[in-house]
Amino acid sequence: MSDTVKRMGMSRRSFLANGAWLAAGVTVMLTSCSSVRSALPALPTFDSPETDDALAWIQVLPGGRIRFFCPRMEMGQGVSLGLSQVVAEELNVDRTDIECILPDTGQTPPFKMTVGSEGIANFFEPVSYGAARLREALRALAAKKSGLSPDQVRDGRGGFVLPSGSSLSYGELVPAEPLILSPSDSSTVEAALPRYALQRRGAYKAIGHSWKHQDLEAIVTGKTVYSRDVTVPGMLYGQVVRPPAFGAWLKNADGRAAEAMPGVIAVVIDKETNFVGVVTNNPFVLPAAMQEIETHWDMPDDLNQDHLEARLDVEKHRVHDNFEHTLSSAGDIGTGRARAVHQTTARYDTSFATHAQMEPRASVAWVKKDKVEVWCGSQDPFFVQRRIAKAVGRNVEDVLVHSHRLGGGFGGRTQCIASEEAAVLSAAVSKPVRVQWDRNAEFQNNYCQPVFSHFIDAGVNNEGEISHWEHDFISSPIMTGMIGGLVPGIVTWAVDQVVTDKGTARGALSPYHLSNHRVRFSDIRTAVPTGAWRGLGTAPNNFAIESMIDELAVAAGIDPLDLRLLNLPPESQRLANVLRKVAEMAKWGQPVQPDTGMGIACAVYKGLTAVAVVAEVQMDHAARELRVTKTWCAQDCGLVVNPDQVENQIMGNIVWGCSMALKERLTVKAGSIEQRNFDTYNILRHHEAPEIIVELMDSSEAPVGVGESAFGPVAPAIANAIFSATGRRIRRLPISYGSVFPDAKS
Amino acid sequence: MEIVINNKSVTVPNKLRDVALIDFIRDFANLKGTKFGCGIGSCGACTVHVNGVANRSCQLRVGDIVGKEVTTIEGLIGTTTNGGLHPVQQAWIDEAVPQCGYCQVGQIMTAVALLNDNPNPTEDEIRNGMSGNLCRCGTYTRIQRAVARVANGGQNVGHS
Repeated sequence: MSDTVKRMGMSRRSFLANGAWLAAGVTVMLTSCSSVRSALPALPTFDSPETDDALAWIQVLPGGRIRFFCPRMEMGQGVSLGLSQVVAEELNVDRTDIECILPDTGQTPPFKMTVGSEGIANFFEPVSYGAARLREALRALAAKKSGLSPDQVRDGRGGFVLPSGSSLSYGELVPAEPLILSPSDSSTVEAALPRYALQRRGAYKAIGHSWKHQDLEAIVTGKTVYSRDVTVPGMLYGQVVRPPAFGAWLKNADGRAAEAMPGVIAVVIDKETNFVGVVTNNPFVLPAAMQEIETHWDMPDDLNQDHLEARLDVEKHRVHDNFEHTLSSAGDIGTGRARAVHQTTARYDTSFATHAQMEPRASVAWVKKDKVEVWCGSQDPFFVQRRIAKAVGRNVEDVLVHSHRLGGGFGGRTQCIASEEAAVLSAAVSKPVRVQWDRNAEFQNNYCQPVFSHFIDAGVNNEGEISHWEHDFISSPIMTGMIGGLVPGIVTWAVDQVVTDKGTARGALSPYHLSNHRVRFSDIRTAVPTGAWRGLGTAPNNFAIESMIDELAVAAGIDPLDLRLLNLPPESQRLANVLRKVAEMAKWGQPVQPDTGMGIACAVYKGLTAVAVVAEVQMDHAARELRVTKTWCAQDCGLVVNPDQVENQIMGNIVWGCSMALKERLTVKAGSIEQRNFDTYNILRHHEAPEIIVELMDSSEAPVGVGESAFGPVAPAIANAIFSATGRRIRRLPISYGSVFPDAKS
Repeated sequence: MEIVINNKSVTVPNKLRDVALIDFIRDFANLKGTKFGCGIGSCGACTVHVNGVANRSCQLRVGDIVGKEVTTIEGLIGTTTNGGLHPVQQAWIDEAVPQCGYCQVGQIMTAVALLNDNPNPTEDEIRNGMSGNLCRCGTYTRIQRAVARVANGGQNVGHS
């Protein structure tokens, strides 16, 4: 706890920027002063968009092109294309007429971090508003220019058509200065602003079409500039020595040997903020310089996987009947249990996991006299801006964060510690400094998906209805997980006492009608940093629920699909529909080959996206291998802005789900993450990926999230398929052939 | 000492002979298209061609490739008769393969070498040939489709 208090006090003064260390290496001993600024920590950006923010996102450039500052970061989810299609729909233009930019922090008002599959779900409407306002402002210009009333000016492609039949392009209307609406400009706010993105259903020109992403050619030619590819003239190269264990604190460091090396500019040491780093003028001497820095650390108490699993063991907590939060409770468990004709209890466990996005994070920062510039790929550039301001003791408005396409995010890149490291080093040497993490740094210094430990006691009555559902689980904080390093320990403690972590709990309430139920959990903070990983609690919680549903079906002798349909309430029609659809796609219920099994599972992601998955597995006893050969997915995500992009997202979800089910396990040893690279932390490879068949339901409902909706049901569908193939119930992830047949000889 | 990258001769300073090829390509030759992923030859993001053969540039030292020719993604354009995008790059666009895109340069370099060796790979040959390249976004199905499309003369091979 005292560690976090210490970190809080961090504030570097501008005296560091005076730059007295120009020639050979020097050691810069920093002494952090208590903050002269707000003691409040920088927190992620949570604010939902204000209506008029949308006016700042879209403008017409001289000549008529549309510039769109996309208020979502792009990390492969395709949101910058989907929202561009909304802009195109409102403004009657094509993709190539839009210049889509991932904005820097100076180009738009702050917007919420890019998380939670909200890009289309929450920004479709405001982007449509901003673009429609701009279109009507253009129409007013056209009317004025031609001496007509606006209602005589009809839509054309990239402009308007006049009653005479002649056309007036946006370029003719905006010849010199960009057209940017301001909130005070109310001239275009009509009583009923036409909203094509909302009203043109059935006649869309952009929405609903599988446009290709504007970035594809740059990606396949290697021209996309990820933050790792940024070069700033005159930049130096930095790296930081990181603590060898969670909670290790720097006792002392000796940088003299490193300083003496040619090319070393500075060794930067700050015991108060646990910081040791080196700056060189040449990237190739960096590894050797790092080797020469000697550090000694105060080590925390030993921490390993066994300690953690014991603390997060649901059955241990059930002995004391001690759970912090009751998520939902109704009826009476005892009454329900008395009516059960088939009863089952089971425990389900999932592992720590890491994001393992393919781009290890990197950043360039330049702390200048009056301004700080940072080049960084982050899911929350405005959070990075505030964090950097804290780290180098500047005003937030003096920090400019340039955004870059992320080489994968998955919830792991709201903060960017590499940027903070680069900024601290840059402040010390008054030059731009690049910091690049390697894979080991990425594994060691990231927050991870916590383990989940579930216990469910449930039954079925003689009508096939779920008689009772008693569900307890233990995990760690996710939504509030990352405050562990940001706010004082006492605040963290208080938050943990009162906040029911919605991330940990996500997806823990099943969609079934449960007259007698109780769902409780505790989110227990350990020394292992935990936070948002794709879907948050969705997949671990869905694994427990949908495995138990399968167990109940088997116990009651009812087909697992039928048991689900029987227990869904009438308001879950969309879920019932995707279940029926996926069953039809997979020919559910047909005989299968020996050593082959099919499993089904479903979920309603965030209460919005209905999804069902069938997995087919084959057991190859000769090779001692378990293969997921085929998967089918039916999803209802409302209006589909770009079917091809949604299919790609669902394919990614299926692969991620297979990877979680079959591969991923992060463990803790001697206070740090045991796995250091892809040789020990395995993710699904190409030859292990199943065939994937996707169908989207026709819907005119509002669009909802697709980025992490389909992967929750994948692991339980696989486990259920394994049961169907082998009669063996697997309740712990990841699953291997050996965990299905632990007794089989190799 | 000189090496050839994308048909251009590059003089290697003596003290950089032992540097990993990927670092030399990115930080000395300033060709940023080749990506770092793991540094242990496990993910394939840094794949380049050495004399036409796919290699992990993180597993080679600059000194290892004296007298050999390195091709990076920047050198792939124009290697075919029309001088534009390589057919593999075009297939990647036609199948809309990339999500985040970070691994795709390595995937494309592996696919080009695979197809040079075997212009008509079976599904299994594609799966196994591409299994050394990780994609965390999970674009494997589309990679499969794109490679099959190239083998099929640039035409879609029958998926919806």
